[in-house]
Amino acid sequence: MKTPSKEDAGSVTPESRQENTPPATFPHDPMKSFAELGFPGRLIAVEGLDGSGKSTQIYLLQRWLELQGLRVYFSEWNSSELVKSATSKGKKRELLTPTTFSLIHATDFADRYERHLVPLLRAGYIVLCDRYVFTAFARDVVRGCPPEWVRGIYNFAALPDLTFFFKADLEVSLQRILDGRPQLKYFEAGMDLRLSTDPYESFRIFQGRMLEQYLAMSIEFGFLVIDANELVENQQAIVRQLVAQRLNLAAFQRTEALPMAKPAPKPTKLSSPQEPVE
Amino acid sequence: MKRATQNQIVVPQRTKKRYYGHGIPGVSSDILAGRLIVVEGADGSGRSTQIARLVEWLEGCGHATVQVGLKRSTLVSEELERAQQGNILSRTTLSLFYATDFADQLENIIVPTLKAGFIVLADRYIYTLMARDMVRGMDETWLKNLYGIALEPDAVFYLNVPPEQLVQRTFAKNASLDFWESGMDLGLSRDMFDSFMKYQTTMQQTFRHLQASYGFTIVDGTRSVGAISTELQKKIGAILAGK
Repeated sequence: MKTPSKEDAGSVTPESRQENTPPATFPHDPMKSFAELGFPGRLIAVEGLDGSGKSTQIYLLQRWLELQGLRVYFSEWNSSELVKSATSKGKKRELLTPTTFSLIHATDFADRYERHLVPLLRAGYIVLCDRYVFTAFARDVVRGCPPEWVRGIYNFAALPDLTFFFKADLEVSLQRILDGRPQLKYFEAGMDLRLSTDPYESFRIFQGRMLEQYLAMSIEFGFLVIDANELVENQQAIVRQLVAQRLNLAAFQRTEALPMAKPAPKPTKLSSPQEPVE
Repeated sequence: MKRATQNQIVVPQRTKKRYYGHGIPGVSSDILAGRLIVVEGADGSGRSTQIARLVEWLEGCGHATVQVGLKRSTLVSEELERAQQGNILSRTTLSLFYATDFADQLENIIVPTLKAGFIVLADRYIYTLMARDMVRGMDETWLKNLYGIALEPDAVFYLNVPPEQLVQRTFAKNASLDFWESGMDLGLSRDMFDSFMKYQTTMQQTFRHLQASYGFTIVDGTRSVGAISTELQKKIGAILAGK
């Protein structure tokens, strides 16, 4: 494994606080990936509509990487209690407007980015993210925020090294979610947009608009598009092949044995009401 | 300023409001009839004293007022308070958290009350937020984009008080320096007094820098409360009269 020469030398004294790290946030040229910014780690993101099966795919990718003994981390979006508390209050009481919805989610993202992602990427991990900034780009723009504003806010974050987009037919994704007749939450169904008074109808329209946004970004950000109408195994084979081609996996081999006490990795939440198991 | 008697209420001239950037989706600035007056300055610069006097004066003149300030939103004020106690959030997170607090008040208080023709008095506005972040190394262009949601105020008064005097005023009131107002999170010095002086000096420089783009009125805050108040009333009076 190659470590950058600028690794923490432990010389940061309070009197001489200098940016001696790779520019994880400012100032860096936005629209660069972690590799381009000289991070030893790599970030792989999956994006797609609810019900596209992306969570299943990223879980299988994680297992494959782990079983090879690589340093891999699945970012479960553990936001700090504080940000979580504000976000859930806003959602529960329906206090959020498109602007505050966007900002509170950006706050939440910044928190995870600065506390989890950047340290792991500096430590040379392959970090897997179920959704990244593109979800915000799509969602906030559908809610009426100007694209330049939203993108400007998120430009403190580097781009993923690989982004898989799971592209399922709208009807297929909708079916997967709506067959369970879940209790759709207010914002999740896009009810704040007043698209329809029926939550299911609202959800359909909302998801349709999300898909348009994703497709519009696909070329710009070089999404690796996976046909999510395919069988799970076929999709996973392509994902693994692409990861093996694009990353030098040998560089991420663990040098330390895992601590004995570490329990076997548990499956991530595969069966939340919005993300049914295929 | 001459006192306005009850039967001589000045009806403010309507002016066109503008957002700094794109503003808030779906809210046109044309329908905002009231006035937005901002008072900026460090802790101890006399902001709240001056705002209290302005409220009294404005109400005496027959104007409806409402006050806003930092960390007062329903949405995130509690959480922000707790975040500050623990100093656990990193700079981008804290910056966005404050922006959320601002946006919530903008949409739920400032805009609706301006629509209703109130005079909104803001005890600090986006400039303090921007200056704090810039001192912490955040990018100015990024901040200007972020705060493109903000309304351009009708007047911004910056109460300028040199750090030497701020420190004396703070001690006269609290007998201790505040962690954040001393910029202790920046590690400028382990000595709180030194840190306070350095931080406040940098903040003032940053305000001067921002003044160049945002053009606020710098008010000499070292004078007596009455003298400052008279100056503010005169200037606001002129704005209300449409001069």
